[in-house]
Amino acid sequence: MSNALLEVDSLHVEVDDKPILKGLGIAVQAGEVHAVMGPNGAGKSTLANVLAGRPGYAVTSGAMIFDGVDLADRLPEERALLGLFLAFQYPVEIPGLSNMEFLKAAIDARAKHAGLDEPSAADFIKRAREAAGRVGLSADFLRRGVNEGFSGGEKKRNEILQMLLLQPRLAVLDETDSGLDIDALQVVAAGINAFRSANNAVLLVTHYQRLLNYVVPDRVHVLADGRIVRSGDHTLAEQLEQKGYGWLAS
Amino acid sequence: MAGSPAEVTLTQRLLKGGHSGYAPWLDRRPSRDVIERIGLPALRSEEWRHTNVRRWYEAVLANGSSRAEEAAAIAAPAAIEVVDFASPRAAELAAAGPASVIDLASQPLAAVNALLLRAGAVVRAPSGIRSTEPVRIGALNGAFQHVLVHVEAGASLTLIEEPSAFTHRVIEATVAEAGHFCHWRRQARSAERECSLVAVRLQAGANYALAQTSRGADLRRNDIRITLAGSGAEATVVGAWRLHGHDHLDNQVAISHAEAGGFSRQTYRGIAADSARAVLYGRIHIAAGANQTDAALSTKNLLASDAAQVFAKPELEIHASDVQCRHGATVGTLDDAAMHYMRSRGIGEEAARELLLAGFLREAIADAEGAELVGLGA
Repeated sequence: MSNALLEVDSLHVEVDDKPILKGLGIAVQAGEVHAVMGPNGAGKSTLANVLAGRPGYAVTSGAMIFDGVDLADRLPEERALLGLFLAFQYPVEIPGLSNMEFLKAAIDARAKHAGLDEPSAADFIKRAREAAGRVGLSADFLRRGVNEGFSGGEKKRNEILQMLLLQPRLAVLDETDSGLDIDALQVVAAGINAFRSANNAVLLVTHYQRLLNYVVPDRVHVLADGRIVRSGDHTLAEQLEQKGYGWLAS
Repeated sequence: MAGSPAEVTLTQRLLKGGHSGYAPWLDRRPSRDVIERIGLPALRSEEWRHTNVRRWYEAVLANGSSRAEEAAAIAAPAAIEVVDFASPRAAELAAAGPASVIDLASQPLAAVNALLLRAGAVVRAPSGIRSTEPVRIGALNGAFQHVLVHVEAGASLTLIEEPSAFTHRVIEATVAEAGHFCHWRRQARSAERECSLVAVRLQAGANYALAQTSRGADLRRNDIRITLAGSGAEATVVGAWRLHGHDHLDNQVAISHAEAGGFSRQTYRGIAADSARAVLYGRIHIAAGANQTDAALSTKNLLASDAAQVFAKPELEIHASDVQCRHGATVGTLDDAAMHYMRSRGIGEEAARELLLAGFLREAIADAEGAELVGLGA
């Protein structure tokens, strides 16, 4: 290969000197949706966080190549500007900074990186409101502090809102489905499906098969003890739903 | 105890020199008495533990008191009476109004102010007048300044101190029954040494809302004394500051509940970077008999460098039994999780830090009354 948008090869990652990922490999092509599933503690969130460059996640060997660029030495903001987006499992509350101001700063950073003019305030507000509408958040949420006092579901919708607005090349969704009621799950799924295109890709990190009823993945991977132990098409997720993860580990 | 050379020289000058001739109606005898009997604060006295008061004396001796003699730059709506201290009408208003609310014995710098005064104004909100348009105080022509505010019964006044220079400024206010006084203080970064006193007395059912945003100065000290002298009075104080370099800011705030049913809230947010130093003493005094008082103080501070310093000290003195009174103080650093969250959206480290710091301060002041008037509203 590789014309993969994301290629992770033999990745070893330690957190607090403890090995979490132990030779993980995965390749995602543009236009694809991959799901990474696995039991708690398998390393799913570590994969998501190390891709985004979160401090405290040490890559001890292996490689993460995104659109031909080695991510290892890249700062979190550089990865974002390259087109990588992480929807956080636990989005951070930032009181005092309005969601609107936060989104504008992110959009402006992208425009600057691309050598484009910053969008006008009017144009930006229109786009932000449109994205908010698509995830069922009222304009009021744009004026509030970032995630401040948002319910769990509202925080997750806000992550999808950001994904829609920023239009990354690869969206990594870290358990975006957890803690959502069925209505919110459908809204989130609709957002992901609207986002999907031939030019981008989605990596869904999830514990449950539930989201995959609404967002049908091209590939499903099972992550256990820091490695991918099984890959298959979307029917693998259904098998997991029926049998659990135990049969794969043995 | 022998004072420092600057203190002795200044004291001698103050006692020997007559006053400037400005506002001759002003009774300066109590000020002279205080300086003669009590003297100026000594270096490192308890009240001046964190601020080197000698450096302020040096500034007074170096700068003198005069500037160009011009009318004070105060913009006011028609319904509010504003009179320069030089006018005979100011003497009338001062005589007709309530007694001074300044305790000179505990505020000797206000006595220095009185002796060296060169700029002053009375601001009067007549009874029942509820003005929404603010009075704006710009640069006043004199290093020593005094603004006397009378909010009469049922009146409402908004006063904004725009960033401007002084060596000492007094804002003295009385708010009569059911009156309302909204007060914004905006302090710009300065290389000067500036001290100020805000002294406010609230009668029954009166309400005072103070919001103060401060950048640092070579030396900046704000003494704020609020007395809830009537039952059911309310005071809300919000302060936010951001310091760099060698900035020094010392806020000394005391709220005194003298009567029952009072309500007070103090909320402070501060950031100190480089080798800046921020001080907040926040005192709540609840007198015997001031039952059903509800008072609270909260201060949150961010240290943006290892060399920056913050001294945050809430102090409660409670002589009544049926009260609610609480305080909290924290000192911390920027939230790493929030930094990473922002950077993961492509916002560079410096820009992310700036947004977080601004947001930290804005959270305290965006909801303060009148925030939109100074361009700080949400």
